[in-house]
Amino acid sequence: MLRFIVGKVAMGALTVFVTTILVTLLIHLVPGDPVQIMYAQSQGSTPEQIEAVRRNLGLDQPIYIQYFQYIERLSQGDLGHTIRGGQPVLDVILQRLPNTLLLAVAAMIVAIVIGLPLGFLAAYHRNTYIDTALMGIAIAGISIPHFWLGLLLLFFFAVQLGWLPVSGSGLANLVLPAFTLGLSNAAIFARLTRSSMIDVLEQDFVQTALAKGLPRTLVLRRHVLRVGMIPLITMMGLQFAFMMGGAIVVENIFSWNGVGRMAVEAIFQRDYPIIQGFILTFAVVVVFVSIALDALYAVMDPRIRRGS
Amino acid sequence: MKTAANSMATTYPKQPMLLRRLLGTPTGVIGLAIVSLLIGGAVFADFLAPYDPTKMAVGPRFLKPGAEHLLGTDEFGRDMYSRILYGARLTLLVGATSVLISLTVGMSIGLVAAYRGGWLESVLMRSTDVLFSFTETLIALSCVAVLGPSLKNAIIAVGIAGIPFYARTCYSASLVERSKPYFEATMAAGAGHARLIVRHLLPNVLPTMIVVATLGVSTAILAAAGLSFLGLGAQPPLPEWGYMLSGARDYFNRAPWLMTIPGLAIALTVLGFNLLGDAFRTALDPTERHR
Repeated sequence: MLRFIVGKVAMGALTVFVTTILVTLLIHLVPGDPVQIMYAQSQGSTPEQIEAVRRNLGLDQPIYIQYFQYIERLSQGDLGHTIRGGQPVLDVILQRLPNTLLLAVAAMIVAIVIGLPLGFLAAYHRNTYIDTALMGIAIAGISIPHFWLGLLLLFFFAVQLGWLPVSGSGLANLVLPAFTLGLSNAAIFARLTRSSMIDVLEQDFVQTALAKGLPRTLVLRRHVLRVGMIPLITMMGLQFAFMMGGAIVVENIFSWNGVGRMAVEAIFQRDYPIIQGFILTFAVVVVFVSIALDALYAVMDPRIRRGS
Repeated sequence: MKTAANSMATTYPKQPMLLRRLLGTPTGVIGLAIVSLLIGGAVFADFLAPYDPTKMAVGPRFLKPGAEHLLGTDEFGRDMYSRILYGARLTLLVGATSVLISLTVGMSIGLVAAYRGGWLESVLMRSTDVLFSFTETLIALSCVAVLGPSLKNAIIAVGIAGIPFYARTCYSASLVERSKPYFEATMAAGAGHARLIVRHLLPNVLPTMIVVATLGVSTAILAAAGLSFLGLGAQPPLPEWGYMLSGARDYFNRAPWLMTIPGLAIALTVLGFNLLGDAFRTALDPTERHR
């Protein structure tokens, strides 16, 4: 088990390492002069000022030196300063990250609570009209863009019915974004759960358990659900990463003050230090969550737990 | 001997054509219908559209859908029906081009990695794993951050973002083919690298990749429309559906059809490709057929 987890941690470390390289390169891949572009919107900056900024960002150094400087600053928790306002990027991100995580977790709960039972139901009634209907709904759910779903929910529940606030950052404000993000993922979960459960339902040990006269519910709970859940846990790690990505769009619809909204604003303003910080944060969060879920997977699956 | 071979040949059930198998399922029929409708609309937009999609004030502003303007008009008095038709063209262009980028690059990586093995395989597949954990949204967003917002850059961004997924899928499909006896036999017969990859590996992984690419078109369309919705893709006055949606939220109460129509167009298109992809999978994969 230890070996399994060490492997996962190593892969995670590699991912973060590659991210730091990409993030350093990012600003050099920008066509044209990044400093000119960053300051194009602020009027009246003299060539001297531009040069000073270039020096400040370390852009006058060879690229490998820039990378080492970046790592050195990173190790001190310094992600640089925003172009507009000059705030420390780390502060700006840490201020908003909890909101994004809250949204992603809430959406995850919505997706699991809706998607898992429906997928299980479809698997149990596979190849019946119940299965067909549920999977029809699921494929429609996957096809609806979440930015459209968000607008529709906003229109009906906030504007027309007035049940929920249009935007803001209280708990009531969380409901619509969480459902927007959660519902599309619930459809994906339902499909994944269905195929995972069907794989288990068709195994011999399930037939044996049923044949020896165990109650159906007991077989489903102890044998099918337990085994079928294991592959789903790994998929949840991947889904969490997708949720973080989806949060970028959803945050913008509902003016939810998370890192996704910050990133899109930063792209418009060409505020590269924020974009760099965002990409790194995103990678670190995704790596942490997937390691945590892999560890959970290792604990739940005896084959890995006992290291065979 | 000859008669034995003949009788054997006749005992095999004849494989129905792909198209017939595709049309044998309701998902295939609906999917194919939606996609054909979309392609038709896109190809014949010049004949079908009554107005120039970017021309303002062809009618009054915010006209409800009706006889004069089939799907109403928008905040600039542009004809929505024409905009949706030309939007189909953009959507197909975006879907096809970005999938083509992901597919060609991803497949090359997957094929080479599976064929060569060794350190090259490790390097290629580890990098793919790393990029894969970034998720497509982050890769696409980073690309747009570098290249700047435009429809062309959104297509490139979505195309690059899809590479890891296609590389992975092609890699695992190629590994399976590589381990089969026929491949070993061809290798032993002295076929060159290029021949082995292009003539033997490629055609055998292609069916899998067609399924993946069909489903991938819907993902690509969604991703690009999402970028345009955020203002990071298509720029005005292009009749891009995602961009049209983002403008619609300002006129929620006044003109709800500006929000429902482009959204429905995206959802239907994506649904069409999803159904078609699912049907392709069922048609091409015998183990899936009676599931």
